[in-house]
Amino acid sequence: MTSGLVFSKIATRSGYHIFDYTEYPSLIRGGHNTYEVLVSDDEVHGPKWDIDLLVCLNKATFDLHQYRLTDKSMLIYDPEMFEPDGSYVKVPIGFTKIKKEQKIDQMMVNTIAIGASVAMLGGNLSVFESIIQQQFDKKGKEVIDFNLQLAKIGFDEATKNDIQKLEILKKKDVAKTKMVVTGNEAFSLGTMAADCRYYAAYPMTPASTVLGVLAAWQYKNKMIVRHPEDELSVINSALGASYAGVRSAVGTSGGGFALMSEALSYAGIAEIPIVVFLAMRSGPATGMPTWTEQGDLLFAVHAGHGEFPKIVLTPGDPEEMIALTIKAFDLADIYQTPVLIVSDKFLSESHKAVIKEEVDKQMNEHVIDRGKIVADTNASPYLRYKHEEDGISEMLIPGKKGVFYQANSYEHIEDSHTTESGEERIKQVQKRNAKTNTYLKNHFELPKVFGELKDAKTVLVSYGSNKGPILDALTMLDSSVAFIHFTHVYPLPQEPIKKLFERCAGKRIIHIETNSHGQFAQLLRMQTGINLKEQLLKYDGRPFWPEEIRDYVLGKKAQTVEKKPTDQEVKSAAKDKRNTKETISQQEKDLLNKLKVFSKDTK
Amino acid sequence: MSNISFDGYAPTWCPGCGDWGIRVGIKSALEQLEFDPSTIGISFDIGCSGNMNDFINGYATHGLHGRSIPTAVGMKCANHQMKTIVIGGDGGIYGEGGNHFLHACRGNHDITVIVHDNMVYGLTTGQVAPTAKKGYKSKSTPQGIIEVPVNPLALAITQGATFVSQGFAGDARSLIEIIKAAITHQGFSLVNILQPCVTFNKINTYQYYLKHTYKLPKEHKSSDKKEALAKSMEVQEEKFPIGILYQEKKPVYHECIPQLEGPLSKRKRFTDFEPFTSSFV
Repeated sequence: MTSGLVFSKIATRSGYHIFDYTEYPSLIRGGHNTYEVLVSDDEVHGPKWDIDLLVCLNKATFDLHQYRLTDKSMLIYDPEMFEPDGSYVKVPIGFTKIKKEQKIDQMMVNTIAIGASVAMLGGNLSVFESIIQQQFDKKGKEVIDFNLQLAKIGFDEATKNDIQKLEILKKKDVAKTKMVVTGNEAFSLGTMAADCRYYAAYPMTPASTVLGVLAAWQYKNKMIVRHPEDELSVINSALGASYAGVRSAVGTSGGGFALMSEALSYAGIAEIPIVVFLAMRSGPATGMPTWTEQGDLLFAVHAGHGEFPKIVLTPGDPEEMIALTIKAFDLADIYQTPVLIVSDKFLSESHKAVIKEEVDKQMNEHVIDRGKIVADTNASPYLRYKHEEDGISEMLIPGKKGVFYQANSYEHIEDSHTTESGEERIKQVQKRNAKTNTYLKNHFELPKVFGELKDAKTVLVSYGSNKGPILDALTMLDSSVAFIHFTHVYPLPQEPIKKLFERCAGKRIIHIETNSHGQFAQLLRMQTGINLKEQLLKYDGRPFWPEEIRDYVLGKKAQTVEKKPTDQEVKSAAKDKRNTKETISQQEKDLLNKLKVFSKDTK
Repeated sequence: MSNISFDGYAPTWCPGCGDWGIRVGIKSALEQLEFDPSTIGISFDIGCSGNMNDFINGYATHGLHGRSIPTAVGMKCANHQMKTIVIGGDGGIYGEGGNHFLHACRGNHDITVIVHDNMVYGLTTGQVAPTAKKGYKSKSTPQGIIEVPVNPLALAITQGATFVSQGFAGDARSLIEIIKAAITHQGFSLVNILQPCVTFNKINTYQYYLKHTYKLPKEHKSSDKKEALAKSMEVQEEKFPIGILYQEKKPVYHECIPQLEGPLSKRKRFTDFEPFTSSFV
């Protein structure tokens, strides 16, 4: 567990809601990493601009985040490293001194810092202690005791100063049990609840943690979780497993998804159910691997050559992720076609507090609907691709004696044999196309409206992970702003969506996305003819700040751009020592010396 | 005997094509082992070989070019009690799907991979295949191919396949026996079948193979990896051994998945979510 997550759990176990957000470069060690946690009495969905407490383990942290501090901001720092300039509530903690006294490494300084933070925020040390006990349970009493001691040192160091403590973490007596989950973890929970039995993935940020979570769970929940040689193998093996009768899913990011797109087309014509989890990051190509963007929406919608039905869902938070993942597996089975769940780094890797009993209810009460997938059939002859008005034929799980058929990537006739007949082709195309109408009639869900459309003067339109920052922005605005949140983005039915937007006639409509092409607006226009003109787009790899949205709506200069450090300042503050020539040659020398010793020893 | 036959549509292959002999080999082997179309899983690749999808019946997938091995791996994971075979060509298995081939060898997945090796791409009208001899002239290599040929037998042996064999489409009798042994084998089995393309390959003809193939002698020790590897290298002298070059017994992939008891597709739904959800508190 990272220190940030420990802090989030201290907050939820003390009765609060949290939202956390991390930024890190695409490196394994070093670079400037941040973890921010927003703690609140009420549900929160995004990060917050003004920092109440900044923990600086080095000077760069102060330099790089100074522009988000106010007079009221509390600053935990090490006076041996630097003395912060400016008027803040300063909390000096001698990290370097303690580090030397306790003979600990840098990682353990985090424990001291959390202890100090808990103290300054008016929290209860016992909550932190119980987490330490759980976290190091397998490592034995000695490790537990040592960490407890470090936590207490941090807590006491902060307590003994006479600075007024905040009451942000004051333990509440009654609170509903909360889980702290990311979008990826929510997807993982959803796959388990949906009875997914085969999950395959090739590691790719920001989808990789799904593979890690499900791989660790598989021995208990009996899912098969594989890491094949490439994304082509990933999806084709999942299609093989799905054909053979088990619910299957794959997960990836843009590049891996590109490799999978031929197989989506195969799933489309052969009518094989498959759930694809696409966690977007800043592209194109390798792009900025650890940063967020909604740059693959149109690609996802159009992925795969030829024409075939496909369903694309865009959950906005972990709760919706669980619900829509469970639904996606039903939809894939019912419509025997690919269903895509589109996430992004922001949703995939940010934690949010969710009420456990609601998650439990959702997972436990779900009744699996496999549609027309059957283990036995009375049909004689059995026709895998039988023409049906709703477009969906009975899909027999292979194994029944006396029957056989193929999942054919060639155009085929009803009994699944290959055909090039024009007449048969038309029938099969129409059959597959019919699924879209059936879906729109039976399973499509209209976007959710937050606020009152009737009273609103301004309507925000978005989808996916922007939901969080937009909802938090709404709390900063008055009732003249409403929000339309799409979760079922493709396919869209023309008439109901038109009706919804007719209710917005005469109002200011702003569509909000984290990409530069306004892809959702294009998608909406393509499917419904509705043309949204005003747009708020962001494509610097960062999610929206609620304050940014608020300021834009109000027509004010954005608070979030006011005091931003320049590129040069960021570079010099975060300057990685390893990048200087001297350090490089020193590193090389060290390594060569070690190798010399090593080869002498092994002779 | 079953009342359903392996015979599907009448094949559309060129008269005299090696595929005819291979089909006889596969069908006879399956019949003699008492399979019927509802007890065998087949993953067809794309090409003249994969077009057997309509000529041999079974619970089959006819997927994408090069991806027949991963598809079979997935089929096997979902229902490991179903015998599963792959039918493809040298292009799909060693070219487009070469990566899958070597990793499936490593995994010792319990599948039988039957490869039509005619050194050309027939269905796209005669471009060079990855098994063609260096210098082979084709539509895509007018002055002769620069690369040396893939050595599928050596590749399979070195990457962990536990059954490696070679057959000849012109010798159906021994082909049947080889395919039977491959299907019966537990683990990854390769049957590389030398096959003339009567339309596009004027060099590797029936006469050519009759001259250059020979049956592995009885004394050949198929359990000896080094000896098998030596045999597999004879292709460099244009000598093609026919028979089982290598065979060993090793745990197969699905046996190494501890949570897999009965077939994945038939087990009960898992519903004890509490330990998982509570770990997030």
